[in-house]
Amino acid sequence: MLKDITLGQYFPGNTVVHRMDPRTKILLVIIYIAALFVAKSWISYAVMLVCLTAAIAVSRINLKVMLKGMKPLIFIIVLTALLNLFYGSGEPIAEFWIFKITRDGITRAIFMASRIVMLVMGTFMLTYTTSPIMLTYGLELLLGPLKKLKVPVHELAMVMSMALRLIPTLIEETDKIMSAQKARGAQFDTGNLIEKAKAMLPILVPLFISSFRRADELATAMEARCYHGGEGRTRLNVLKFAARDYMGLGLGLTVLAVVIVLARFGL
Amino acid sequence: MKEPILKTEELTHIYSPGTPFEMTAVENVSIEIRKGEILGIIGHTGSGKSTLIQHLNALVKPSSGRVLLEGRDINESKDSVRDARAKVGLVFQYPEYQLFEETVYKDIAFGPKNMKLSEDEIDGRVRRAARFVGVEEELLDRSPFDLSGGQKRRVAIAGVIAMMPEVLVLDEPMAGLDPQGREEIMKNILAYHDETGAAIVIVTHSMDEAASYADRMIVLNHGRVAMEGAPEEVFSRGEELRGMGLATPVMTDVADKLRKLGVELPASVYTVEQMVSALTALERGRRGA
Repeated sequence: MLKDITLGQYFPGNTVVHRMDPRTKILLVIIYIAALFVAKSWISYAVMLVCLTAAIAVSRINLKVMLKGMKPLIFIIVLTALLNLFYGSGEPIAEFWIFKITRDGITRAIFMASRIVMLVMGTFMLTYTTSPIMLTYGLELLLGPLKKLKVPVHELAMVMSMALRLIPTLIEETDKIMSAQKARGAQFDTGNLIEKAKAMLPILVPLFISSFRRADELATAMEARCYHGGEGRTRLNVLKFAARDYMGLGLGLTVLAVVIVLARFGL
Repeated sequence: MKEPILKTEELTHIYSPGTPFEMTAVENVSIEIRKGEILGIIGHTGSGKSTLIQHLNALVKPSSGRVLLEGRDINESKDSVRDARAKVGLVFQYPEYQLFEETVYKDIAFGPKNMKLSEDEIDGRVRRAARFVGVEEELLDRSPFDLSGGQKRRVAIAGVIAMMPEVLVLDEPMAGLDPQGREEIMKNILAYHDETGAAIVIVTHSMDEAASYADRMIVLNHGRVAMEGAPEEVFSRGEELRGMGLATPVMTDVADKLRKLGVELPASVYTVEQMVSALTALERGRRGA
């Protein structure tokens, strides 16, 4: 039930995509998103799709898992497609009441829907192939220059990595508490809205209590190990760009350039 | 032999099938729990104990196989699930972490209330359950969060006992308590067993604990039933148990060493009490001769 949540989950593996520097992957996702928004034609979308498919194939991420992660977004995708469907300009193909569907509307709907799907799938690629620790480390390094502007980059990264680290723990804990209350006859899926909200109480109270306890214990454990912020901290594994990273970035920038050029020519 | 009240038939459970995290937690387990017995389920961490017991009241649905309560499949319908939840009480590990109400009384009453009993019946059950676990009347109006660890644990167990289950399943009920707390909890559980005749299933990895109360034991290893039988039968296979990462009770080890020294002890010595009586019998026999 709760365990089936795959959004932002890491699937360990040992492919080129997995081994790539997290900084490269973050940059590539940004490039990918930029390219997706520049893309305006069938050809550029096809180029993007080829890139995405290649990345998925190389990383050996199960397509089923990927599609399962899309499930919560179906509503947004369908809504966007529908809205775009009715906002096209030009000669209407079908008409009823105040709605009219045009050829332009149909293409727009397809473009928007595939843009969202590809956007989400691309970002999934980042979180599916990068462990949370690597991800935050990558972010910390990329945001490093902001330290000059007194932005607490290290602290933010630490908070983020702890939050990410605790998500599975909290899900597990919620599952356990739910099971325990179900064993005492609690029911979470019956009754009206107020009854349902009330039924959450036996889960939320213990969950909050244990979260606070956990936070307290974690803080004590960190202090006991002399944690005092990012100043002078070193890493066990220091990230280094390898040939694959330069190649990946080069490829990404080339695709972006191609898409921009295509857009220039109105394609 | 007493008749079974709860049975599993070739139960298999696989977590996250079809993903890289796929794991078979329980495989082909057929066990039965008999009316009024005390059953010890033993296995090291990750042997599938917790998964197995969550099947017993339909919290987890089997990937294949069945769970039968009084001959009826508990996953058959919504009613059968509700029936199983009421008749099979499950106390999780560290149950004190599930307390949530403002007062001890309300928390114990949560289960009976969900069973839609009358106010009088609920009141009677709460007080009776509190008595079983040795929670004094004046504690009932206190917040459960003001209690000590041992008291919280007992209140949580009372919350399940108040549903008056015919099978009471406890997952490591003594974990993290001091020796005195352990003894008290065990006394509470035995009191419930003696007074109501309910079957008790205790999950543990401590052989000494299991040795001191179980009528029958089931040893799990890698999600399968590795051994089943009376404690003396199980403990007589010390080598195998150690191979599974389980220790034998201290007294079994002592008895083994004594036997090697030529002391003729019966096979069924695995608690301190049994050792004392076996040795005194031996001494008496020698004096008589």
